[in-house]
Amino acid sequence: MSLRARLSRLQGQPGSAAPLSARADSDLRRRLARIEGRRHAAIRQDPDQATRDETLARALKGYPIGDGLIQISRRIPLEGSMGQLPLSLLAETPRLPGEQLQAHRRQVYIDTETTGLSGGSGTLAFLVGMAHVEGDAIRVTQYMITRFAAEGAMLDAFALALSGEDRLISYNGKSYDLPLLGTRYRMQRRADDLNRLPHLDLLHPVRRLFSSRWPDCRLITLEQRLLGLHRHNDLPGSAAPEAWFDFVRSGSTPRLARVVHHNRQDLLSLALAHAALTQVISQPQRHGADVAALARWLADSDKKAAYDLLKQQRQRLPPAGKALLGRLAKGLGDWALAQQIWQGLAQRGCRNAAEQLAKYHEHVSKDLETAKYYCEQLPADEAQRRRLKRIENKLFRRAIQPELRE
Amino acid sequence: MNSPVPSIPADSPAKTPDPADHLAARLRGKYGQRITGELLLPASEGDYRPLPDDLDPRLVAALRQRGIERLYSHQAAAWRSLSDGRHTVIVTPTASGKTLCYNLPVLQAALRSRAKALYLFPTKALAQDQVAELSALNQAAGLGVRAFTFDGDTPGDARKAVRTRGDIVVSNPDMLHQGILPHHTKWAQFFESLRYVVIDEMHSYRGVFGSHVANVVRRLRRICRFYGGDPLFILCSATIANPQQLAAELIGEEVEAITESGAPQGARHLLLWNPPVVNPELGIRASARSQTTRITKLALAQGLKSIVFAQSRLMVEVLTKYLKESFDRDPRRPARVAAYRGGYLPSERRDMERRLRQGRLDCVVSTSALELGVDIGALDLCVLNGYPGTIAATWQRLGRAGRRQRTALGVLVASSLPLDQYIIRNPDFFLGASPEQARIDADQLLILLDHVRCAAFELPFRDGERFGAEPLSELLAYLEEQGILHREGDEWHWMSDSYPANSVSLRSVAEGNFVVVDTSGGAKRVIAEVDYSSAAMTLYEGAIYMVQSAPYQVERLDWVGRKAFVTATRADYYTDAVDYTRLKILDRFEEHMQRRHAVAQGEVHLVRRITGYKKIRYHSHENVGYGKIELPDQEMHTSAVWWQINPEAMEQAFSARQIALDGFLGASHAMHIVATVRMLSEPGDIGKAVGDGNARWFATVDAGGRGRLRGGDGEAVDPQHLDRFTPTLFLYDNYPGGIGLSAPLCEIRDTITEEARQLVKECGCAQGCPACIGPILASDASRGYSPKQAALQALALLSRDES
Repeated sequence: MSLRARLSRLQGQPGSAAPLSARADSDLRRRLARIEGRRHAAIRQDPDQATRDETLARALKGYPIGDGLIQISRRIPLEGSMGQLPLSLLAETPRLPGEQLQAHRRQVYIDTETTGLSGGSGTLAFLVGMAHVEGDAIRVTQYMITRFAAEGAMLDAFALALSGEDRLISYNGKSYDLPLLGTRYRMQRRADDLNRLPHLDLLHPVRRLFSSRWPDCRLITLEQRLLGLHRHNDLPGSAAPEAWFDFVRSGSTPRLARVVHHNRQDLLSLALAHAALTQVISQPQRHGADVAALARWLADSDKKAAYDLLKQQRQRLPPAGKALLGRLAKGLGDWALAQQIWQGLAQRGCRNAAEQLAKYHEHVSKDLETAKYYCEQLPADEAQRRRLKRIENKLFRRAIQPELRE
Repeated sequence: MNSPVPSIPADSPAKTPDPADHLAARLRGKYGQRITGELLLPASEGDYRPLPDDLDPRLVAALRQRGIERLYSHQAAAWRSLSDGRHTVIVTPTASGKTLCYNLPVLQAALRSRAKALYLFPTKALAQDQVAELSALNQAAGLGVRAFTFDGDTPGDARKAVRTRGDIVVSNPDMLHQGILPHHTKWAQFFESLRYVVIDEMHSYRGVFGSHVANVVRRLRRICRFYGGDPLFILCSATIANPQQLAAELIGEEVEAITESGAPQGARHLLLWNPPVVNPELGIRASARSQTTRITKLALAQGLKSIVFAQSRLMVEVLTKYLKESFDRDPRRPARVAAYRGGYLPSERRDMERRLRQGRLDCVVSTSALELGVDIGALDLCVLNGYPGTIAATWQRLGRAGRRQRTALGVLVASSLPLDQYIIRNPDFFLGASPEQARIDADQLLILLDHVRCAAFELPFRDGERFGAEPLSELLAYLEEQGILHREGDEWHWMSDSYPANSVSLRSVAEGNFVVVDTSGGAKRVIAEVDYSSAAMTLYEGAIYMVQSAPYQVERLDWVGRKAFVTATRADYYTDAVDYTRLKILDRFEEHMQRRHAVAQGEVHLVRRITGYKKIRYHSHENVGYGKIELPDQEMHTSAVWWQINPEAMEQAFSARQIALDGFLGASHAMHIVATVRMLSEPGDIGKAVGDGNARWFATVDAGGRGRLRGGDGEAVDPQHLDRFTPTLFLYDNYPGGIGLSAPLCEIRDTITEEARQLVKECGCAQGCPACIGPILASDASRGYSPKQAALQALALLSRDES
């Protein structure tokens, strides 16, 4: 019996009611679905590879730069607007809290389209897109392969288009695009220089500011909520693998063209989101951002800015934000505000605030009675007992030596 | 009834009576009738060699610090073989210093050239033991060699450190398969300098698991080649018949075998024990459980440290309960008896292992979970409650008791299971037979195909590449047809949005563990884990599930969510599930026609359904109730051998269809025993069933011991009312797709029927017993005919035509 016959028997014949197991069953169904898809496609005549690539390149307004490798370039003037925001916002390099402006560094936005989301060495990027601002325009460059063999050339072209002075900006690139590209450079026996470049993953600040405000932090949510951009007729990223597989198998271009468009839109949104984030930072409440989270972020680099922001918003702060404001006020010597904040918190049972007040009244205001009052609110542990004892000693000494009072 | 004891004269110990010898003598004096066989292996001296000249001085120092001045001969032989660059398998008994055989070359390579090593153990517990031992050796001499475990428990942020900084990475085949190989680029540095791969407990890689692991090794070697490496393999195994062959099949290359142990060993004394007959009429013997409890109690009373192996988790809990009733009555004192089995949380198991090593426990009752080399210190007595199913596993378990200077006693207590009775009544078979061959079939088509998919995901295949014995290009073409691979030029690329390793389980049936959640008092506490394959039989709603002899009742089973919710209970019974199997013939690969029957081999579709459970009261073991179980059927395609009777011959031979049915059920029982013994396989590897071949009806044995026909939905069917009655007797390969047991079974079809006939004819029972045609509960009178006679008639029909 032929190997094929044995295999199809073991895998369960089509039409046989009995699946081999749940796993093989679902696999089989998926496979059958795919075979069916392929049969339809295969009816069309496969044009010769080079012609096919040229047809695709023409359709995408790109050009082949190697066997199976297409480059698509666009120069988009910083005019007009996208969603609610003018593209001219991009003219100035955005700066996020804690960042030094490095004028010599080019900011390069990157995004890939891959053959799967599961990761591992069997998943590759078939499209690598990059964008950067160039004078009064933003230039978008996309490299796409039309067959597996061109992957090495694409990776080379991409590496060549970057310089050691670039800074990468991505959305979820730290955990997705960059490790995946690292794997691909390794598989193609090439050095992975990408990982040496500085890299800003915008997902992290977006999460910081909005994870408590938005249902999720996907790029599409960001577009809708922050850029006021609603895509129409967009091919979802999850459809990208099948679109490319379809092209490789049958030369079918329409869906692949939509993937290229989708990727370009992702890059533009990414650049615009970067600029929009600076606006969020200057006016967090207007954009519905989490003010306390922003203040925590600001506080890492600029305590005064964090303090100002929280002070301005203090009526609407959650307890964690108030606690931070109390800490910052203390650090900046604004005892009056610190005291006020702590009192509010202590009333609601905040242990840390009570402790701060005990310290403040013991050491700063020297109001020992009040210090004792707050100390007694604290849970009775070793430190609390010591503090209470000390305060009582001080009170005692003050009682017998009233001149110490002043 | 017992055969004379073929005892080997024991050289009477001249010195002070050894406690184990003393117990053996007492047992023999008191229960001589029950001992059907005895074996005494004298103590052996150690065979030593000096430390090798080329051993790194730092290692010499480390060894000296731990009091090791010389090596056992097998350790020195392993060193030489590996120095010569040969793959090496070491087969020596438990506690003979196997680990040093691989640790020395691995540490030497790490010290001299920062070469890396990968250790594979079948379980996580063993991996953790190993890392502890390596760190001890490492710290003793400040070698600076870093050993890490890498498994499902390794936290995400530690994984990178393991990949880049570990000199020795200790993992398991499942993790290699799903976590390492598909992400090999992250391990590039590791693979580039990988020098040694250690596969310990090699004997556990047999059957389906072994066939998968052989393919994982193929993938591993393929990835190593990609990074320019070609590591040496060091394998260690307990005693099996074909270590060299198994090692070679696992790694796909010739392997040097070292089988002579140079470690000293105390004397071993083995008793084969058959429980006494309590009902000669029905051939019923006292339970193995009662005998095991008695022997263990005697040993504990004498202060011997003991280990008891039971065949099921349930039996572990029952035995523990009985022993605890005698020895742990005072709850204020630390427990002397404990249960150990899979399903307990890792921390609990580690704690028990520690208490055993420190001698704080006197007795542990375990499933096969302690069969592997977890360090449990020195024990005097090992009782096997039931035959473990294979000769190799028997010796492996007996080896868990043993001390350098003293005698270790082993007692194999036979249960009423037929295989046990066969072994115990033919002691020469057991004492004389070499251990089983460990079989794997690395080219089993479904397994091979699974791993070709995984391998194609890891690296594109190239024309001319080899992977297994089947023509790779055909497999690749098949996968291309299914749209998973894409051929381009001379390469085959993965073209699917999926991660194939996730859908391939090396242990074939593990489809997600079930957790057992205790909801007593409104809390929610995970108290155990149960693997997928045993969940259906142990966690049905109403089941009594035992943890350290404390009974819990399953209130709700969330099959999809893989959770069982239980509450503590005070039930005085335990539960036992009832299942049945239906088979449908799909295709015949070969058929042999005889006048009265036909034997065929081919593919079948099998449905197993668990219908209900019995409640069995403790101590009296009476059936006190019955419950229904509603669970999804478990299905598989596999291969089988079947015997189908010519209906005319059958109507001639039997006066009634009911008699024929009982005859075939009895015959299937005997044939299954013979097939299992003949194939040297584990009892679960081959299944048996009687049906009609079209799954229209199948036969079960009812509570009265009579055959009953049931229809497709389990409803009773009267055989007389069937228009066509062609009983078909199946012996099937009990794994999805089969692991190649049915073709050889078909080859020995005449031997099977012939030996089954002899087995039944020569059995000492009157009307049939568990050791021949299965348990007989109804008396001969109520039946009106002899079930044993019916089975013999059926076997006559199934026998080869006389020429």
